[in-house]
Amino acid sequence: MTQPTIETRVIHLISQLVPVKSQDIKPEQRLRDDLGMDSVSSMELLSMLAEDFELDVGVEDVADVHTVAQTIELVKVFLAKKAA
Amino acid sequence: MSDAVAAPVSSRPPALVLGAAGFLGLNLVDALVADGQQPRCGRRARTNVLALRQRKVPLVQADFDAPETLREAMKGIDVVYHLGGHYPRLSLDLEKERHIGLTRLERVLDAAAETGVRRLVYVSSTATVAPRTDGSGSTEVDLFDTPPTWGAYHDLKWHLEARALAEKRWEVVVACPGACLGPWDLRMGTSTMLVGLARGLDVPHPDGLVSWVDARDVAKGLLALGTMTDPPRRVLLSAESIRLQSLLEVAAAFYGVTAPPALSDAEALAFADAEEHRAAEGGPRARLARELVDLIIHGPFIDATRSRHQLGVTYRPLDETLRDFDAWARRVRFIPTKSTQEAAP
Repeated sequence: MTQPTIETRVIHLISQLVPVKSQDIKPEQRLRDDLGMDSVSSMELLSMLAEDFELDVGVEDVADVHTVAQTIELVKVFLAKKAA
Repeated sequence: MSDAVAAPVSSRPPALVLGAAGFLGLNLVDALVADGQQPRCGRRARTNVLALRQRKVPLVQADFDAPETLREAMKGIDVVYHLGGHYPRLSLDLEKERHIGLTRLERVLDAAAETGVRRLVYVSSTATVAPRTDGSGSTEVDLFDTPPTWGAYHDLKWHLEARALAEKRWEVVVACPGACLGPWDLRMGTSTMLVGLARGLDVPHPDGLVSWVDARDVAKGLLALGTMTDPPRRVLLSAESIRLQSLLEVAAAFYGVTAPPALSDAEALAFADAEEHRAAEGGPRARLARELVDLIIHGPFIDATRSRHQLGVTYRPLDETLRDFDAWARRVRFIPTKSTQEAAP
């Protein structure tokens, strides 16, 4: 069994917060305008990511994330920081 | 804080904070840590714990719908700070909200009894404080004899506080904070109006007395209630009671804007009810919550002298609270600075 990619894991977590199936979530989609998230659920998503990937994401980092692709990129950046 | 007797840090059993990830919870955690404590922080599975993780405090599952997690969280705990009382998202179904709130509180009280908790500091609301007919300030003795019939929030808070005060198995003390302002209002409760003003948005509101208080001062009061040897049974926490319109005018001047005029009580109630129905049908969050309208138009004048004298709380002035809230809100970008204005949500 192959390990899920970062993209797959992020999209799976997003799908737990919005009424959209994982397979219908695309990187270019905007968390708010396209997926219906608000500031509270955006922060909840970052919290879930922080726990799932064991990242030290801060509250202030949420403001930089507007799309699925940016969410994935944020996880990659923090994973790289953790590995450094 | 002459009445407060602080035990040496090393000998003090840990405290548990229920609702630690919330506005007051985060400020209380900061106060406990500043006091040299290492609080255990209760969280639910879906709680936003970003701010708690930043504080490097121990997190523990404490789900009000899973009593076994409450018992586990309270093992070895001396003092429980219960800041997680049910807050109805909407005010449309009074019976349902009351049932949820009382069921969850009962589970907390039972878990505390079973695990030998010595004291529970229950955080209620000034919604339970009855106004005086002569217009003088209401104090800790002013309780409604029966639940106010203004809405689900007042009804729920009255029932919850009455249940907490009826507890006989161990010590329960009740704190009634007013409208909290200050840093770490991540879910944008009472701070919504400030952010709206700062962003130049319409801020629909009624007028009435609002007993505001900085959340950091509430945290100091709660800390005193949890640590002092002979705490008062009920304490009101408020810096001052002023007209909401006056508070918004101060905030508007701070942001260099003009405060919008207040709606009449009837207009505000109708607007909030319409907003709640729209939100209940899957729309965005209500722009004016019904409980806020009820709290403002029925707000009593509060005399919080006891908290000053017995808990040693010194309330900070409004301008300091506004300044610190603004700095925090810009840091987390709830209020955009020029450089972030385009990227702001």
